[in-house]
Amino acid sequence: MAQVSRTAHEEGHHHIVPVKTLVIVFAALVCLTVLTYAASRVDLGHYNIPVALAIAIVKALLVVTFFMALKYDSPTNRLVFVMGLVFVAIFLSFTLLDMYFRGDVSNVDPETIRDMQLQEETVKARMPTAPAAPAVTDSSAGAAQTTAPHTAPAE
Amino acid sequence: MATATPQIVDDVHAGPHHPSHLQHHFVSSQQQFEASKLGIWLFLMTEILLFSGLFVAYTVFRTWYPESFDAASATLDASLGGLNTIVLLASSFTVALSIHMAQRDNQRAVFINLVITVILGAAFMVIKGIEYTAKFEGGAYPGGFFDPHGHHYGHLANVPYAAQFFSVYFLMTGLHGVHVLVGMGIITWMAIRTHRGEFSSSYYTPIEITGLYWHLVDIIWIFLFPLLYLI
Repeated sequence: MAQVSRTAHEEGHHHIVPVKTLVIVFAALVCLTVLTYAASRVDLGHYNIPVALAIAIVKALLVVTFFMALKYDSPTNRLVFVMGLVFVAIFLSFTLLDMYFRGDVSNVDPETIRDMQLQEETVKARMPTAPAAPAVTDSSAGAAQTTAPHTAPAE
Repeated sequence: MATATPQIVDDVHAGPHHPSHLQHHFVSSQQQFEASKLGIWLFLMTEILLFSGLFVAYTVFRTWYPESFDAASATLDASLGGLNTIVLLASSFTVALSIHMAQRDNQRAVFINLVITVILGAAFMVIKGIEYTAKFEGGAYPGGFFDPHGHHYGHLANVPYAAQFFSVYFLMTGLHGVHVLVGMGIITWMAIRTHRGEFSSSYYTPIEITGLYWHLVDIIWIFLFPLLYLI
């Protein structure tokens, strides 16, 4: 340990991550990969997606903390990293808010507009004559996304 | 030089240890190193935001068409995806090792680890190529080119919006693959410079920031693998 800190001092305080740490982190990453693969083969109901995402987040944190050595890096770089994540969170959450609640600001109905649209679709799908499912060849084209029923603005 | 503060001139340029890698607008090697690292972290954040656009698109499309995404995702080979995850994790490990060896002044080990990293990157691209070829043969092209046929992809013709999944799949893995190729190029360049003896424990900044970039490419795959192949 003493040797490590002296070397770090001579080189301007660069922290050297020990090989042992790197090996342990790599082994943990491989184990987590096997674990997430195994977990996806088991039907956990609604928990499959959260479990897979949680394992991915742990793996990413291991890489950032030890391989990228952010743990030993300057606070400025940590701040840059955290701010990046904050902006990704804003991007994702506000897009999802718009998707689920568009038009609901002036909506006086207890249900959200998206819920009402989903119910309408369910009813339509039950009627045998109604064109419930879009034609497959049309839907394959990129144009399908602009006419997707869920996206129809509520106004 | 006369305009600078006297003691800085003494410290940096008049001293017998003025290193050749130190540029004149930096006070010390340490300041130059930290400026480079701040720069690469800022660049990596722009990379994360670039990919986050695709991750948001994935989330939105998946929320709209969960059944279609499930059906299309089931046609991917999770074993090949898992193998590629291990390959990329191993390459991250060798890059981290090369930086460790650079700090320890073991230039030969740096060179060997960088070469192994490039080989692992190439192995990743070969496995990716095998997957892409199988999809092209089955007509699983993105967007309007989607024309699934054969026993593996044929049933997707009856799944509405399955093409949407493959648009997202090819965009995300394609953009990631381009990043892997760029990384392989830069790491090759770093290996050549190491071989020429340009680096030492007092100057290995290019290897350090190349490593940070390569780790980010690895992190993006860590998320792509479960999102596309597993759930």
